[in-house]
Amino acid sequence: MGAGIWVFEPGAPPSDVPQQSPQTIDGLAGKVIGFIDNAKPNFNNLVDDLAEVMVTRYGAAAVIKRRKQSAAIPASDVVMRELTEQCDVVVTGSGD
Amino acid sequence: MAAQQGLAAVTVCSTAFSDLGRVQAKALGFSALPIAVVPHPFGIRTRSEIHEIAAQCADDIARLVCGPKPRSAPAVAKRLPPVRRAEMVEAPSDIDDFSRFCHSRKWGDGLPLVPPTAERVEHMLQHAGRAPDEAVATLAPAYGTATVENIAINAVLAGCYPEYLPLIIAAVEAMAVPRFNLQAIQATTHPVAVWLIVNGPVAKHLKINGGGNCLGSGAWANATLGRALRLILQNVGGAQPGVMDRATHGQPGKYTFCCAENETENPWQPLVAERGFAPGCSTVTVVGAAGTWNMNSHAKDAADLLRVVADTMAFPASNDYIYGGEPWLVLSPEHARILQRDGLSKTDVRHRLWELSKMPAHRLAAKDYQRARHSRRSELGEIEDDSPLPISVTPDDIGIIVAGGPGTHSVYVPTFGNTRSVTREVAFSAGR
Repeated sequence: MGAGIWVFEPGAPPSDVPQQSPQTIDGLAGKVIGFIDNAKPNFNNLVDDLAEVMVTRYGAAAVIKRRKQSAAIPASDVVMRELTEQCDVVVTGSGD
Repeated sequence: MAAQQGLAAVTVCSTAFSDLGRVQAKALGFSALPIAVVPHPFGIRTRSEIHEIAAQCADDIARLVCGPKPRSAPAVAKRLPPVRRAEMVEAPSDIDDFSRFCHSRKWGDGLPLVPPTAERVEHMLQHAGRAPDEAVATLAPAYGTATVENIAINAVLAGCYPEYLPLIIAAVEAMAVPRFNLQAIQATTHPVAVWLIVNGPVAKHLKINGGGNCLGSGAWANATLGRALRLILQNVGGAQPGVMDRATHGQPGKYTFCCAENETENPWQPLVAERGFAPGCSTVTVVGAAGTWNMNSHAKDAADLLRVVADTMAFPASNDYIYGGEPWLVLSPEHARILQRDGLSKTDVRHRLWELSKMPAHRLAAKDYQRARHSRRSELGEIEDDSPLPISVTPDDIGIIVAGGPGTHSVYVPTFGNTRSVTREVAFSAGR
């Protein structure tokens, strides 16, 4: 580089968010699995099929399926509270 | 996010969205969040294809979520205060090389940029009235902290004059209000861009165009204010096109989308007054706009004009109908005067358009019809084929400003649907 100039970088300050390890479980047998359907086309069908496999192949005790009002907004506090209280695992979706 | 609640969680992403999922999980403090990937596009798969995909996906979920417990119990991530100032880097002084340098670092929008030197940034910060390291907002989807300083840096890059800074800061604050739904606006496939509407004395002071060609080219303020916001959304909010910004096409309004209201030609109350601000206040309003749609009508009476405007608003592939949105109209002074002359207030106009633009639900595509039935059930009850869908939840959700110059054109601005505009006062004193 020839004669240069000094400029500020335009990005955000470096991330200070501490990274956490996600929670894991020792197996799906006997567990309650929650699904948050993102309301995109076909995700409800995927949820139905996954739920069936989780019970029949992996021995899940129960599944709870809840659908968001729209893909573009978060699941409601009521749904999040219900799933937090009752589920061991939650499966969510993103994309088309 | 379920993982933040201390639950084991897996996100299923279609392939086109898996990078977005990983970057966003990291921004939220869960860089190792399990992601199960399914083929994109997923929505067009047949039922039997989904069955096969589900079998593989279930195995992936089981593998990803089962394992040894983490060494430390999950806890809600806490953000540290943004005490770090922006860093400096040496760049080429030649203007062509400088732009290439910026674009290689993904700082730009495809147009030449102004070097944010210490002198230029300091000059701009003199107009902030706030400390450079003050946090203004956290911007999705990367959850970068917008500080007074990095807002000023991006404003310099965009070519803004220093006195624009308070308006840009107010716009950033407005975008971060939850009902604006910046997270979805930044990461969606929808073309939504952020439209800035400026009201009050600051518009005249900064020469923000609200007259002829106000949504076109020619005004330095309109061009650079909207551009600055786009650079902030990209550089601070992390919405890099093709990575976090997943827009299928985007729109030209992503380069800049900014105008003033033409308050002197407005026969009604301006937006600033409707939003409850005192006379003499200056404001900026952010709108999640899908684009602009010109309506050229020589109608000379209110009923005729409203009929064709409502017909224009009523198109079926519209997020406003599917979700109950907040559509906007930019009425030309001539059209506004026709409506006012025929005795209509702005409230009257909203109510008439809301009724006239109701659309039978069967006009929506089958999948969209199902989406509308689900998303608007709590508002409208069970929607049937012939149910008249209103474009917004209430008539008051239809936004109206008066702007533009002479001519028989008005503009319809459909929106992202799942968004509500936000207005913030701009720190401005006419004496400055």
